[in-house]
Amino acid sequence: MYNNKTSNKEENVQIDNTILEKLEKLSHLKIDDGKKEEIIHQLSDIVAYVENLSELDTSGLDASFSTLTGGTPMREDVSSKQEEVIKSILAHAPQSEDDFFVVPAIIE
Amino acid sequence: MITLKVALTKTKEELAEIKSELENLAKASDLNAYIGFENSGEGVPILIKDNIQVNGWSVTSGSKILQGYIAPYDATVITKLKSSGMMAFGRSNMDEFAMGSTTESSFYGITKNPYDISRVPGGSSGGAAAAVGGGIAIAALGSDTGGSIRQPAAYCGCVGMKPTYGRVSRYGLAAYASSLDQIGPITQNVEDAAILYDIIKGHDPRDSTSADIEDSKTVINENRKLTIAVIDNYISEASSDIQKAYSDTIKALQDAGHTIVHKNMQNTKYDIATYYILATAEAATNLARFDGVRYGRRAEASNVSDLYYNTRSEGFGDEVKRRILLGNFVLSSGYYDAYYLKAQRVRHLIRDEFNTIFNEADLILSPVAPSVAPKIGAVHDPLEMYKSDMYTIAINLAGLPALSLPVAKDSDGMPIGLQLIAKAFDEQTLFDGAASMEKAVKYTK
Repeated sequence: MYNNKTSNKEENVQIDNTILEKLEKLSHLKIDDGKKEEIIHQLSDIVAYVENLSELDTSGLDASFSTLTGGTPMREDVSSKQEEVIKSILAHAPQSEDDFFVVPAIIE
Repeated sequence: MITLKVALTKTKEELAEIKSELENLAKASDLNAYIGFENSGEGVPILIKDNIQVNGWSVTSGSKILQGYIAPYDATVITKLKSSGMMAFGRSNMDEFAMGSTTESSFYGITKNPYDISRVPGGSSGGAAAAVGGGIAIAALGSDTGGSIRQPAAYCGCVGMKPTYGRVSRYGLAAYASSLDQIGPITQNVEDAAILYDIIKGHDPRDSTSADIEDSKTVINENRKLTIAVIDNYISEASSDIQKAYSDTIKALQDAGHTIVHKNMQNTKYDIATYYILATAEAATNLARFDGVRYGRRAEASNVSDLYYNTRSEGFGDEVKRRILLGNFVLSSGYYDAYYLKAQRVRHLIRDEFNTIFNEADLILSPVAPSVAPKIGAVHDPLEMYKSDMYTIAINLAGLPALSLPVAKDSDGMPIGLQLIAKAFDEQTLFDGAASMEKAVKYTK
């Protein structure tokens, strides 16, 4: 079930321009062209380093982890309306009107 | 600077005088430890890291992207301070979004080490540690995701304590890596750390990861004789000054009547890898909320997509961008199993390894950092910086409490800190051992 991709040393991932472009999109970030080479190099170094985890046998271990026992607590589904917080956030928002945040047109 | 314990005995008038003295000293110093002198509440002034919400303050995580944001409520730790004879006074500098080990990545510029202004104070709570170590704050609250309280405390000659995960509410702490973040005290001595810890701890229904476990007031017993494990294979990677401080401290602990047991742990490279997969994954998710729509700084844009891209590209610094990209890499389709889930599994191994040692020992003694504070600008390469977190991050991954304490100085007069690590929710033993160690090593400022 668990496909350990990093167990095969020959399959080391190379961060290239295509992957960086995908990551920029996922991250909503634009990396300046002049910085792309440096960032590809840095990310490649880091990814190559973290591949060391493939040396460890983790079979049979749970893929979820918590230091707390008992799991996430449940609570009643009651709304909590803090008017002052709402007012304060809207008042300091980059742009707001009445009870709304104002953004540029979504559909041109 | 007077200690927190003494400050708590002062009158309102005396405290007003102390506060104005603090402000004058901080403004006259060239450390750049404070980035604001805001006031909230009444009582003993406590310096607050720039990622803990104080109602009405500009709280910015040291980032350009949060310029203009005003915190709309108090973090639970701030509410607790205010009801315990303390107040929030001033914001301390930090690495942007707590991502760094030097406080060089702040929007507000570099903070300097009070022992040598050509060196970094450590990070990410570098402003807090520099202020306490430099005598311009009585005590401070920092946050520790991978060592961000303990390492700057060690570099600046003060005490830094990370509580057990779940012990202190994270409500109102700007999230970096939610499964690792904890707020904790940075103080002048162990007793002050216990005082501040006692005030901020406790279950909080507003934080679903807050542990619902009763914890009585800490009563330090420095005469308790403990079994302390030392990790033999860790120390070889530290500088010779750290190695000497470590062996001298072991001797001092033995002379104080503690039993030392020798252990080994897996290579710290696995801790570093696990941490930088999980912390970046969580950060990429947590920092997705900064898009220029609701709070902070918005970039110019003619459509919503550009609004997101421009706001984030202009607002985040290089290290934050690097971690968001890396986090999205380890979470992305095709890599999620191999990196993110693998690291989650390794986290069990790390915790199990600590638990095995705690079957035989009350505490673990470990270095905090492999060297004393480096020179400003000395660490260029991100991976090299990550590796310097080798001794602190496993504790966050396992959710354990730990306390960093100055034990010696190197030949240049730079402080060296070592940390004690305790079982989860056993802060009492942590403080008992730390108080004994503080007395045994006879460190002088």
